[in-house]
Amino acid sequence: MADFETSTHRAKWIFAPNDLMEKFRAANQRAVKTLDQYGTTRMEVNVDGSLTYLEHPSKENAGKHSSPKPLNIEEEQYMRVFYEQKIQEVCGAFGFPHKIQATAIIYFKRFYLQWSVMEHHPKNIMLTCVYASCKVEENHVSAEELGKGIQQDHQVILNNEMIVFQSIGFDLIVYAPYRSVQGFVDDMEDFMQVRNGQLQMLKDLQETAKSEVDKVMLTDAPLLFPPGQLALAALRRSNEAHQGLDFERYLNSIFSRQQTAHSISELIQSLNAIDNLVSKLKIPTAKDMRHIDRKLKSCLDPSSQDDSKKREKKSKHKSKSSEHHGIPS
Amino acid sequence: MVDTGGTGRGVGNNGGAAGSNRPVWLQQYDLIGKIGEGTYGLVFLARTKSQPNRGKCIAIKKFKQSKDGDGVSPTAIREIMLLREINHENVVKLVNVHINPADMSLYLAFDYAEHDLYEIIRHHREKVNHSINPYTVKSLLWQLLNGLNYLHSNWIIHRDLKPSNILVMGEGEEQGVVKIADFGLARIYQAPLKPLSDNGVVVTIWYRAPELLLGAKHYTSAVDMWAVGCIFAELLTLKPLFQGVEVKAPANPFQLDQLDKIFKVLGHPTPEKWPTLVNLPHWQSDQQHIQGHKYESPGLHNVVHLPPKQPAYDLLSKMLEYDPKKRLTAAQALDHEYFRNDPLPGHNALVPCQLGEKVVNYPARPVDTTTDFEGTTSVQTQSIKLFHCARFCVIVGEHSEPFKSLLINASQVNFGLPLLRRISSVSIDSSFLVGAFVSRLAGIQTTATVTPVAFLHFFHSA
Repeated sequence: MADFETSTHRAKWIFAPNDLMEKFRAANQRAVKTLDQYGTTRMEVNVDGSLTYLEHPSKENAGKHSSPKPLNIEEEQYMRVFYEQKIQEVCGAFGFPHKIQATAIIYFKRFYLQWSVMEHHPKNIMLTCVYASCKVEENHVSAEELGKGIQQDHQVILNNEMIVFQSIGFDLIVYAPYRSVQGFVDDMEDFMQVRNGQLQMLKDLQETAKSEVDKVMLTDAPLLFPPGQLALAALRRSNEAHQGLDFERYLNSIFSRQQTAHSISELIQSLNAIDNLVSKLKIPTAKDMRHIDRKLKSCLDPSSQDDSKKREKKSKHKSKSSEHHGIPS
Repeated sequence: MVDTGGTGRGVGNNGGAAGSNRPVWLQQYDLIGKIGEGTYGLVFLARTKSQPNRGKCIAIKKFKQSKDGDGVSPTAIREIMLLREINHENVVKLVNVHINPADMSLYLAFDYAEHDLYEIIRHHREKVNHSINPYTVKSLLWQLLNGLNYLHSNWIIHRDLKPSNILVMGEGEEQGVVKIADFGLARIYQAPLKPLSDNGVVVTIWYRAPELLLGAKHYTSAVDMWAVGCIFAELLTLKPLFQGVEVKAPANPFQLDQLDKIFKVLGHPTPEKWPTLVNLPHWQSDQQHIQGHKYESPGLHNVVHLPPKQPAYDLLSKMLEYDPKKRLTAAQALDHEYFRNDPLPGHNALVPCQLGEKVVNYPARPVDTTTDFEGTTSVQTQSIKLFHCARFCVIVGEHSEPFKSLLINASQVNFGLPLLRRISSVSIDSSFLVGAFVSRLAGIQTTATVTPVAFLHFFHSA
């Protein structure tokens, strides 16, 4: 693996918080503008790579039909978290190695720095990111297999593959924190000069840290901090539960062993910031999603707006059938 | 860096391609012709039309769509993902990735190199009739090792080193500089590898390390060093060192003849000198065949016509060490006495610094000017059949894409991982950090299933 220090991950995909907010705002604004202009956010990619928005015919007789309401930034964020968590679920169901889901989530996050969820439905992008991640991490699964496993049309995956690769700038090697956790735990073993009983503690520490990383992955933190810090933050949270080691002393020992221009207080500030993002994390349920998803649907296909309202009344009790594994269709 | 031509977001109808069937991205190049063909697709030579690199020669590698239902070619993806992360003088530079939305095919644009070791060696053997001068051999080898050392320090094994994949820049600023190319088979050490026999394509076996021929399941960077040893010998004698006859069969057949060719020159390996030999599948199962002929005395120095006491011979024999654990690493090779003796290796391998040395003019790569970017014969009548690109090249400075340097941000403190020091065989830049990258696991999980791999001619026709 190429070196993180010289990686595209470090050079291009770790942002200052304000830059990140600006990107989310810009993507949202663009979609809102498009919706205003064309009555829909759906577009088609032309043969030469340019985009065409499918102007909604009913736009002409406006007044009768109100333009669909766009998602706001918070709703977009909510939606992303929901589907990022779905990535974890899907990868878990397939029994993929952990780094597959981590890579897929990072691709997903990077994709939505360029696009609004109103422009590309996150369900499709989620599947495509999982597929792309499998390809890159040499865990090849055919699109068909993947689609079948979650009862989704695999053509959607193939249709979106190129735009995903393109939107993430073909920067495909990503550094997930799971490996860092392993590295730090190995290091702690030396640091503590562990005896037999403590070995189990470290194992538990690592297991808990792993699930803490799972949570970290659902926040903006992977776009704000390098994987080593995400791992340390997860380990510190995990250590709060296990009380296995003097964490501050351990951090000090890391600093004493290397030359760095940075101070330990900077590090602790980062860890606190990551912690804060994790505590604020709210994972929406499928039920929470229904309202936002309906809004999204009407942005992508305004003609569905009226129909769906009718349909909903008709088949309220039957509507479950269109949701596979809790994924709003 | 990545470009599909007209992705003007928020723009309604496209205007760019009007009046032409060529996608916008293609219009930034003047196509000169086809320079290569392989299993992956085609390679074209083109020139940049616009500033700041007007006139610069670019090699464009077009990847075929992979098998139906498989989406973007995994080989292309692998090559892109590695080349995006690496940057070294002796590694080929990926300057752009283009997508042709019509058929979703990928075009990789590289800095063009006029020569490669396959053609240089052939030119000496067939046209010049004398050996390559010692300065050039040493400079080529040094630069090859320099690039390889960089790759290995970045945990990348090339796996398909052979003369045709070692490019050499033609006239211009970088004249005589070696560029390692074709990363379609390259792997990151820690990635679990799947057998490549599925590809159904065959790689030349002449540069394959003995542990692989004997069925080793573990891939290490030492396989690349064996290939460099073979290439070194070929530069000296103009003949492939071990020209085995390949058994063509699916699923990695046992290549007895190739082993036999090696044993003939180097003698039989022994478990005394190579302790893990006894664990290799073919050593056990095909023992009778392997031990069929007895080759006692190593005759390497006779084959390469070098006195055994010369540093060149010493270096070569250490690269062709049977035991991969004892084989010289790229870093060790760069440190060898051979490179400290006169003539010293130089930046321009093709033109010796000393006056009086004869400069060989290598021919330019043949270009088939009758094709278009699709690889189909075009109706355009272009009269020039052989185009000497280098003569027209306007070499301009680096045009690496500007990217925001976010590194000074205090939120990005990184952490060293002392564990890395335990993995001693690979040199590691001590400045690098982040446990993400490697734990001690990286040293252990270098497993890979070894199977015949794709033969991907990169820059000239097979």
